[in-house]
Amino acid sequence: MMPWLRSKVDNFIGSGDAALAVPPMDGALKPNRALDACKTGFAIQAPDDLCVWNGILLVSSGKGLFSIQRADAGVQAVLHRTYENEITAIAADAAALAVAFADGDILIEGGRHDGRRISLAEAGKVRNPTAVTFLGAEHLAVCVGSARYAHMDWQRDLLERGSSGSVWRIDLQTEASVCLADGLAYPYGIMPLGDGHSILVSESWKHRLLRLDATRPSSPEAVLNDLPGYPARLHGDGVGGAWLALFAPRNQLVEFVMREPEYRDLMMSSLAPAYWIAPSLRSRGSFLEPLQGGGVRQMGMLKPWAPTRSYGLVIGLDRNLQPRRSLHSRADGSRHGTTSCLASEDQLIIASKGGNEILFCDLRGQS
Amino acid sequence: MSAGPILELKNISKQYHGELALRDVDFALKGQEIHSLVGENGAGKSTLTKIISGVVSPTKGEMFLDGQLVSFNNPAEALQRGIAMVFQETSLIPSLTVAQNLYLGEEKLYNRLRGLYIAAQQFLQSLNFPVDPTADVSSLGAAQKQMVEIARAVHHNARIIIFDEPTATLTPEEKSHFFALVDRLRKDGVAIIFISHAIEEALAISDRITVLRDGQRILTEPAANLDRDKVITSMVGRTLSNELYKQEGKRVPRPYGRKVLSVQNLSMGKMVRNTSFSIYAGQITGIFGLIGSGRTETAKVIAGVLKRNLFYGGEISKDGERVRFRVPREGMKKGIIYVTEDRKLEGFFETMTIAENIQVHMLAKSSTSEVIVRRSRVKELAEKWRKRLNIRATSSGARINELSGGNQQKVVIAKGLVQQPEIVILDEPTRGVDVGAIAEIHQLIGSLADQGLAVILISSYLPEILNTSDRILVCRQGRIVEEFDADAVTEKMIMYAAVH
Repeated sequence: MMPWLRSKVDNFIGSGDAALAVPPMDGALKPNRALDACKTGFAIQAPDDLCVWNGILLVSSGKGLFSIQRADAGVQAVLHRTYENEITAIAADAAALAVAFADGDILIEGGRHDGRRISLAEAGKVRNPTAVTFLGAEHLAVCVGSARYAHMDWQRDLLERGSSGSVWRIDLQTEASVCLADGLAYPYGIMPLGDGHSILVSESWKHRLLRLDATRPSSPEAVLNDLPGYPARLHGDGVGGAWLALFAPRNQLVEFVMREPEYRDLMMSSLAPAYWIAPSLRSRGSFLEPLQGGGVRQMGMLKPWAPTRSYGLVIGLDRNLQPRRSLHSRADGSRHGTTSCLASEDQLIIASKGGNEILFCDLRGQS
Repeated sequence: MSAGPILELKNISKQYHGELALRDVDFALKGQEIHSLVGENGAGKSTLTKIISGVVSPTKGEMFLDGQLVSFNNPAEALQRGIAMVFQETSLIPSLTVAQNLYLGEEKLYNRLRGLYIAAQQFLQSLNFPVDPTADVSSLGAAQKQMVEIARAVHHNARIIIFDEPTATLTPEEKSHFFALVDRLRKDGVAIIFISHAIEEALAISDRITVLRDGQRILTEPAANLDRDKVITSMVGRTLSNELYKQEGKRVPRPYGRKVLSVQNLSMGKMVRNTSFSIYAGQITGIFGLIGSGRTETAKVIAGVLKRNLFYGGEISKDGERVRFRVPREGMKKGIIYVTEDRKLEGFFETMTIAENIQVHMLAKSSTSEVIVRRSRVKELAEKWRKRLNIRATSSGARINELSGGNQQKVVIAKGLVQQPEIVILDEPTRGVDVGAIAEIHQLIGSLADQGLAVILISSYLPEILNTSDRILVCRQGRIVEEFDADAVTEKMIMYAAVH
């Protein structure tokens, strides 16, 4: 059937892309309260990305880069450096640190290219870096989430079914960049794979993970489809697998709004983004916000299975990149909007952007 | 409620092909009483009520009606004595009108349809049933069909009405209407036997409850003395089954493999309601649910035997690709096979041989249309599967109806496996199968999962689900409501999820 006709038929009978079907969280993704049960953690405003540089754990938050240090009173965040622009991603290798900013610039600190500033921005195009990773000492791979909207406007890009994202390989020596893939629906996480020539990318709006050739442009290969949420950053687990953070859940109401362009456009033009029917990093606790709780609140208690726009979910992937275990913060939890997670020995360090917290999860009890 | 029983059964036993379905069961029904019969599938509820209503005769024991020894040879005799049975699947003729169904069997030489409708209208109004007597039964909802069935029972002056799972297909509103109706019948002097898997319903409307298990009566007590926990414990406490399914050491569930099947918001009529779950390779996923919970219908939709709702019927993805099968053959070609629970009706051609039955299924898979089928190749294939599944028959040329139930079941499974599937759905694979064959079938199921196939095992028998599955899903009211890891679940937890 011709695509346009297929689309019309799907819209009429509610099938295909218009099915309003959401994959269940079951099997290895069976909901639990592991994130809410993490006792150790500390408050920090909207933590976003994590990396370990020279043995120091760094976390980005707004325009600041913080180092996490152990102190007598527990763990504390110490301001490492403040920048002029908002940080949208960080990555480190043995010597160098890469810091990506909302304006499309990437700054290298340490290593052979210390102080180098690479600009992704092009005339007339937004460059919205969402994730970076080193490919050896001389190259960097960068996810550009959207060429249409800035970092803060991710909800708009999602609702408009944006697919202007791309993945780039940048030579740090010459600053030459090669587009490895484009037309992606908000690539939001990236990590090199063990084979030495591939990278794994999370394509957020399509709820999947892609394998790309790290050396030249190629067609992406989907390795994990139909995730029940919107995937964000990826980090290796040190034993061939990976940890994937998902910052919001999928739900049928959002899927419905996305297939109703007139309603969606009216909503976006007449309401503040906080009240859009769209995924969210956190619940603001306002009665004005749509869906949060979905009416499943009794005697002041929100049921954990209530329909929700925000959620906390971290998935452990095995060597075959299949889910093996997961940690959740459900509708009634607070550690939502998990944008990054990093394995360190027996601990998993998680940035809960919606919960304004860094969590330390003991993995020994989670297997 | 009157004090003495109007119906009494003493030491009733019933044997089917050497197997005891009921063993020395005593049962008493008082006048103006609602008496619930509860128990797992296969506990003997249906057999007991079939004996009462004259559908089958007991092998041993006596039945007393108003103190008189009675024995019914057929349902008509029971009906004459005032005992009527309302089946879960109504016995109405869909192409006839309500009035014609009401007076079925009482037709005169000359029938005036208008007169029939007027009589039916007056009769239905006297029962306060809002059903149009001129409507075709096929156009009625489930509750209205129940009403017609009940009206037919009352029309025959039934003093005892047996309801078999009457609420399984009703909506909550229809259920409340039905319960009001049952209460009214009781007030009018009718005694009611109510079979239900919904414990809460049984507790709410019954005067007394009898629990059956493995063909034996476990308890009979006033409903007021019981609670859900006590009923469930009585239902699942094991005797015989523990012997067959006892565990030697702790079983380690197989790990999750690749997600091969994703069912999302699947709906089909009133039986499958917005259900979602995933199936993984290299694992046995057990699906437990009571009759009417929609598990078989869900499996049939996945395999293409039934069609999901055309409008907003949800999605099924196999290996990430959306699939929608219009016929089972399309499912088979994609590697999904469904082994039916009703092998006699849907599983095989009973007059054909083992080899012919297996060959017939090969036709579904085959992409080339072979005009000539070589008999030697058919035989070779059948012999291979006969040996592999240890089908006890003189040869693959033996007719299916000459085999025992267990071996018939193995042929049905062989018919599926011959197509080299990736996803095998086994619906009640050990129903009506002897104990020796059960162990062999379980071993086979395990070996399929070990080979990397995704196996879905549908069973109403808790020990089977518990001891065979790596992961257990519980189905209730048309959807998967709970998921358990096999190493951290008890029978009670599963049953609680299935009825709560």
